[in-house]
Amino acid sequence: MTPGGRIFASMCAWMLLSQAIQPCYIFLHSSPPVLSFTLSKEQGSVANTQNKVVHVPGQTRLTSQKLPGAFSFSECLIHFLWEEKGAKMKESVVSTVVFILLLFLNTSLLNGQSPPGKPEIFKCRSPEKETFTCWWKPGEDGGLPTNYTLTYRKEGETTTHECPDYITNGPNSCHFNKKHTSIWTMYIITINATNQMGSSSSDPRYVDVTYIVEPDPPVNLTLELKQPEDKKPYLWMKWYPPTLVDVRSGWLTLQYEIRLKPKKATEWETHFAGQQTQFKILSLYPGQKYLVQVRCKPDHGFWSEWSPESSIQIPNDVTMKDTIVWIFVAVLSAVICLIMVAAVALKGHSMVTCILPPVPGPKIKGFDTHLLEKGKSEELLSALGCQDFPPTSDCEDLLVEFLEVDDSEDQQLMPAHSKEHPGRDTKPAPLDPDSDSGRGSCDSPSLLSKKCEEARVSPSTFHTPEGIEKPENPPAKVTRTRDPQSTRLEGKIPYFPADGSKSSTWPLPQPPSQHSPRSSYHSIAEVCKLAMGTGGASATPLDKTDTHALRSPKTTEPGGEEEAAERREVESFCSKTDQGTAWLLPQEKSPFISVKPLDYVEIHKVNRDGALSLLPKQKENSNQAEKPCAPETSKEYAKVSRVMDDNILVLVRDPQAQSLAAFEEPDKEAPPSLPQNPTGEDLAAFASAPSGCGLQLGNTTEYRKRTLLENARECG
Amino acid sequence: CGGQGWGGERRLPCVASLPICPTGAVNCQVSLRDLFDRAVILSHYIHNLSSEMFNEFDKRYAQGRGFITKAINSCHTSSLSTPEDKEQAQQIHHEDLLNLILRVLRSWNDPLYHLVTEVRGMQEAPDSILSRAIEIEEQNRRLLEGMEKIVGQVHPGVRENEVYSVWSGLPSLQMADEDTRLFAFYNLLHCLRRDSHKIDNYLKLLKCRIVYDSNC
Repeated sequence: MTPGGRIFASMCAWMLLSQAIQPCYIFLHSSPPVLSFTLSKEQGSVANTQNKVVHVPGQTRLTSQKLPGAFSFSECLIHFLWEEKGAKMKESVVSTVVFILLLFLNTSLLNGQSPPGKPEIFKCRSPEKETFTCWWKPGEDGGLPTNYTLTYRKEGETTTHECPDYITNGPNSCHFNKKHTSIWTMYIITINATNQMGSSSSDPRYVDVTYIVEPDPPVNLTLELKQPEDKKPYLWMKWYPPTLVDVRSGWLTLQYEIRLKPKKATEWETHFAGQQTQFKILSLYPGQKYLVQVRCKPDHGFWSEWSPESSIQIPNDVTMKDTIVWIFVAVLSAVICLIMVAAVALKGHSMVTCILPPVPGPKIKGFDTHLLEKGKSEELLSALGCQDFPPTSDCEDLLVEFLEVDDSEDQQLMPAHSKEHPGRDTKPAPLDPDSDSGRGSCDSPSLLSKKCEEARVSPSTFHTPEGIEKPENPPAKVTRTRDPQSTRLEGKIPYFPADGSKSSTWPLPQPPSQHSPRSSYHSIAEVCKLAMGTGGASATPLDKTDTHALRSPKTTEPGGEEEAAERREVESFCSKTDQGTAWLLPQEKSPFISVKPLDYVEIHKVNRDGALSLLPKQKENSNQAEKPCAPETSKEYAKVSRVMDDNILVLVRDPQAQSLAAFEEPDKEAPPSLPQNPTGEDLAAFASAPSGCGLQLGNTTEYRKRTLLENARECG
Repeated sequence: CGGQGWGGERRLPCVASLPICPTGAVNCQVSLRDLFDRAVILSHYIHNLSSEMFNEFDKRYAQGRGFITKAINSCHTSSLSTPEDKEQAQQIHHEDLLNLILRVLRSWNDPLYHLVTEVRGMQEAPDSILSRAIEIEEQNRRLLEGMEKIVGQVHPGVRENEVYSVWSGLPSLQMADEDTRLFAFYNLLHCLRRDSHKIDNYLKLLKCRIVYDSNC
């Protein structure tokens, strides 16, 4: 014994200890209080961990755990551990009392008979709040046949009743039917187990039927796949409340819950359905088999079990027809792919070259890479050919500015001109014959013809009231921008290339033209307009009554009236000339006015004073080149001998003179009328004579060239 | 709204959506169906609150004390002869059943008021219990008003004397002895849970019988 410590141990319930169910209470009185104890078989060995010590005032009650079965209870060592002022001491006491009791126990165990164990009610349940059932679990029977009875007492009553029905719900159950069930009433139920050795009772269980309601699962779960038109199919399910539950009177109100899953899935998809007994599922996987279950719950009760599974097969989306179509498409695509692969394989190279033509390497004409490799620069350069720069060969003709008169050309020019009005794109060569900067190289014939066509296509602006177009600088010519509004005219005569849009630098494609690109054509009408306009005269076309007046100047004319007469002449001339005859236009900027076609006249002679004598010509097809009539006089000026400095045409007498085609560049001067000649030279309005006679001029005279002669006639 | 509100939630579900009479209207009559719907919602809600409150209290304060053994036949409303099963409830005439409901409701006015007061005064009064008590008291008052309206429509003209059971448990609630006091609370909450369930059940029976002609 420890100093100052006393332990008095008494055993209780050692009888039950053998059952290994009930705890063993050891009452101790010790001072100082015991902290823990262990039960062990022999001194020195530890059988259990420390056990809980419950301090009850006045006593120390120790509760041990269930002892292992190996104990023979022959001896038991109770080790007490307590703490006294920091020192832990152990004291083991062998309780003699224990020993005696254990002996008694052992004898009982050797017999194997005991009173029944304590039963236990483990479940009470009402399926519809009108009846209920309780189930119990029997304790150990102690080796003897044991009888179980259920007794109960109701709240507010004093009498004890026995279970009315032990059978309905199986063994160890008690069923209370409607007669015996009261709601909102407490039942106090007890189970009694009795056998030969004794009896035992369970703890009373307090049951109120109100709170133990757990219905059966819903019944008759039906599934149906509904497929409305134009909508996706959905699953419609219906069920009925469990048969026992009275929902119609409102005694119980049920809520439902459904769950479903595809057969192969693991997770259920749960949906709350409220108080309705049907449900729709919209999102379904086609081609799957679905399992569905439903359960219910009363208001203020427990959920029922899940109903048995119902299954339904969702049909596939894709019909047989669709499948066939897709198979067909797949096979076709495969065949096409195979064909393409075969084609590529067989003719791969050629296909590649067709699709992706080889990029041409850079080539310089005359460039020899071998020479480069060799490193001989001199040879390389010589091999290049040393082309002159700027290139000259084919394009010389274009750059030379001189006028050439050519029969064939005129004829060809005529139709070209007649069809078209001068295009807007008037771009004669610049004034300076030597300024060829910006001029491109030779143009291809195709391009020329193209330009020609374009000019024909766009006949307009002939009568445009706007300013007369001025030929642009050569660089712009290439682009051929048609700009009727361009007003670069500075007193220049209108310029109308024979083929309209064609840049003036380029020669006309049809004739082997030697014409200067600066030539311009005008119709007689234009000429006349200008002529009349210069003098301020009205642009009204004169009628043919003036023909007579025209003739008058044939003879002599007074000098003083020269001007007026000539003007008249011009006017009358203008009135008679056809459209399409060339005139030398006065150089001024005046809008063209539509003039009625005028007749051709023939220049008879040039007076001493420089007046033109004009002969009326018979109206004939001006486009045709007639055989030249015999020149009547040898005084006809029909040939251009040379061109003078300021673009003055020098005409010479030529019995076999051909008609002139006068090309000139628009002058910067704007002399009012043709007959005027500030320089004292004779001016002549050239007209193509239908009869073929050319100009009849006197001596060589210089004429100011202002217009293009559009029609040439062969005289002779 | 309304349909799924049976999960024991604390909120009163969707009463505001039901039609109401504008204030001051004399002849306005909300239909009987709407009155019953509203009443059932309230009674269901009150019972849920009561149930939760009881479970909370039991878990917290009453473990191992064996209160249940003592709370037998201890409700103050047990003197009111209420039907004890379905057959009895279906045999009662609906007017009598309505009056019975009114009596039970009236009997709880006083205890609920004191319950709130006393729970507030408890040491470490748990908020969950207190808030529910307050809510129950308020809703009980509203249910009473609704029931009086229903009675006015179903059984107009007859106005019975206000009969109810008197509650005398206040002193117990105020006992110094913790055990005694706790048991008094336990008993009160236990009786409240039961009576609220009774009212809810009776009302549902009446609704199905009167409004849906026993075909819910």
